[in-house]
Order: sequence, then structure tokens, then C-alpha cells
Amino acid sequence: MVQKKALLIQEDIIILKILEKLLQSKAFSCRALSSLSQLNIEDQTVDFDIIITDILFDGIGPMDFITQVQEIILHKSLLVVTSMGQKKVKKEILSLNGISGFFSVPLDLDTIESNLATISWVKN
Amino acid sequence: MGEELIFLLIQLALCVLLILWGSIAISLIYRKRRSKVLRNIEVQFADVVSNFLYGNEDDQLSLIDIQRKFKALGISPNHPKSKNVQYLIKLMLRTQGSLLGRSSERLKVLYQQIPPYRASVIKLKGKDWYNKARGIREIYEMNQGQYLKEIIPLRNHKNIYVRREAQIALVVFLGWGSLRFLPYLRWNVTLWQQIKIVEKLHDLYEIPNIAFLRKAYRAESVYAKQLLIRIIRKYELIGEIDYVLDFIDDKNYELREAAIYCVCAFNLPEEKMDRLKSVFHNIPNNSHKRQLLGYISTHNTLDVAFYQNLLYTGNDYIKLNAAEVLWGSGYKELVQDFYYQQYTKNEEIYVD
Repeated sequence: MVQKKALLIQEDIIILKILEKLLQSKAFSCRALSSLSQLNIEDQTVDFDIIITDILFDGIGPMDFITQVQEIILHKSLLVVTSMGQKKVKKEILSLNGISGFFSVPLDLDTIESNLATISWVKN
Repeated sequence: MGEELIFLLIQLALCVLLILWGSIAISLIYRKRRSKVLRNIEVQFADVVSNFLYGNEDDQLSLIDIQRKFKALGISPNHPKSKNVQYLIKLMLRTQGSLLGRSSERLKVLYQQIPPYRASVIKLKGKDWYNKARGIREIYEMNQGQYLKEIIPLRNHKNIYVRREAQIALVVFLGWGSLRFLPYLRWNVTLWQQIKIVEKLHDLYEIPNIAFLRKAYRAESVYAKQLLIRIIRKYELIGEIDYVLDFIDDKNYELREAAIYCVCAFNLPEEKMDRLKSVFHNIPNNSHKRQLLGYISTHNTLDVAFYQNLLYTGNDYIKLNAAEVLWGSGYKELVQDFYYQQYTKNEEIYVD
């Protein structure tokens, strides 16, 4: 079986590592970045099964960031995990095309886990 | 002479400039090193937590490994006051706050095992109220129930912030059992603190324990009574409503207000409603009377005698409200009678 590929972009190292381990325990091969600027040329040729990203980064608005990610990285599904969980932001993000989920702090990792299971099941 | 003076001034200015540059350079280097250390602590802590939560068996670190790791970063039980320890505690609290559910429960287990072991409890012994309150907060947020004994005596501390945190800690660790301290309450408990206690209790202990609640009824402090009333309201304990009804006509404004606020949240049975109406006349404040009258008129079947009585005895606003209720439910004659009687009385006065 081909290993599924995941890309993580989170500024908070603790959340980043926890999610990385979570994905690895679900048999994903995982690329973990703390910002989009760490992305290299190889990453842009990979078709990721899932991207889990924050939306709060220096110098770019949440909506722009998401559209940029959607444009430059090939992917099958996109989850947003962020500490910026206001209702308005959530509504705006979910109104974009191609977002499969929005989770804000405090995170319930169990739901993320079950969400991962359904996504990977659908894609197979 | 002028040249020399200028030369001296220039030298002086240069000296100041050099000192400034020097201090900037030192602080830059210090900051760089410091942020590297802090970053390192964060990375290591992230490693420990993520491995604990989702690591496979090969990467599970033993406790001794974790201790060694932290010791290398300058976090050891011998220096509980160091800034590194404080930073680690901050990270621990932040992580605890940003997770929910099963993983949050498992994190509590981890926190009981890793250093900083006694950093928070040592703060309790300090003189500073700020440190004390902070220590208590850290203990209950990281769920270190083993230090409860040290916290209990602080619940009546003279500093408001220390006793606030201590009270919350008691609620977190003992739940309904913490109510047994209420009769011994010595200081005031602000409204905000009462709300915090009730919410915390409701978050952590959803099933009410009536036995503890009833024991706390002995409490004589006004604040304790208010707190109990708010708990009864939050948990919708209609069976305990008699306790609340005792305070409907209390002399203390705030206690009365809490009791009325509580009663208005319930749908009282007939006999309790009768009791409420019987104490209605004893309420010393008119705005409270009006509030209660609004509740009675919407939640009770029409009691004509009660309203008619109010029409002749109450204050003007109460009379108006009572008249409104009677008029609205088809007893126009009663209201008319009242106003005509008033009119003739006045006329007599004019005649005299």
C-alpha cells in the first residue's frame, strides 16, 4: 500500500508536533513546516492527500493564505486548525471551496482523528 | 579655551555613545541566546508531549530520559525559581488549555509525572500575594491534586486574589465537597467570583450532590447564601426551592436579588407560589416587588384577591401593574371601582 502523504503548516511547535505524531500513528508520511516560506521545490511537485494548516501568519491575511496554499500546493483535501476561532473567520473560511474542516483551539483531537479516518477512507 | 571645551564635550559624547552601543550589543547577544534556550525548551517539551500522546512504543521516553532532557535545559528540582522553569510551566498551561477531550485527560497524567515537581507549591510559601495566587492557579490548572493540603488554609487568606484562586482550586479538586467550607467563610465573595465558582463546578461536576449542599445551608454569611442560591439555580434543583424562598424578603438587598433571580428561573408549583405570595408584602424594595409581580402574573393562575389587595395597599407602580393584570384578564369593574373610589375621596377633600 502506498503511504498517504500529509503536509502540516503550524506556527505553534507544540501543536505541530502533536499533529505530526497523530498523523504518523495513522500511517501518513508527514512533512511538517512552521511557515509557508519553508516550502521547497520538491514539496510543490508532491500531491498531498491532506494538508492541515493554520491561517494566522505574518504578513498575510487568513483568506489570502488559504487561496495561496490552494493555488501552489497540489492536494486532495484541506483541514484548517487554528487558534483564531472567531465565528466570523470560521464562516468565511468554510465558505471557500475545497475546505474539508475547520478546528479551533481548544482542539478536540478525537474529532480530528475521526475526521482523518473518514477523509482517507473516501479518498481510497 | 573654547577649543578645549568642545574637544572635551566631543569626548564625553563619544563615551556615552560607546556605552550605549556596548549595552545594545550585550543585550542583543543575551536576547539571541535566551531565545535560543527558550526555543529549545519549547521543542523538547513538544517532543515529550507529542510522543506521550501519539508516539509509537519505540519513541516512548522513560521518565528518567525526560528528566535528563529537562535537566540539560536548566530545569531541575534544585532550581524551582529559575526563569526556564517558569517558561516550561507557561508552555504546560498553554498546551493544557488548547486541548480537549481524551488527550487533555491523558495530558494530566503526564503532568503529574514530569518536572517541575514542586515549583508551584514552593510559590505558596513565598511572601508575595502575587506569587501565591499564581502558584495556586498553576496547581489547579495542571491538576496536581497532591498539593491540596497546602491550598486549603489559604481559602480565607487576607488577600482577595489569593483566596479567590484557593477557592477555585478547592472547587476543582473537591467538587461538591468543597461546599463544606462555606459555613466558615470569613471574607466577602464578589459576584464575579460566585459566578466563576458556579461555572467551574458545573463544568467539572455535572451531577449534583444534595447532601453536601444541605450541609452548607448552615452557612450564615450573606455571600455563602448567595452562592448556594446561584448553585440551586444553575443546577435547576427545584426540590431545594424552600431554601431560596426563605430569602425572598431578606433585609439584605443583594441576597434578596439573588433569591428573586433564582425563583424567576423556575416554574413553581401551587403551594410554593402561595408561600411566595404570602411573603410578597414583606419585601422592602419596590423594584424587587415589581420584578416578582411580573413573574407571578405570568406563571400563576389568576388570584383575584391577591391583586385586589395590591390595588389598595401597594405603591403606585405596584398598583398600576396590579390594575394592568386585572384589566387584562377581564376584571375591569374591580379596577374601575378602585379609581372611582379614589376620585370621590379627592372630591371630598376639595369640598372641604
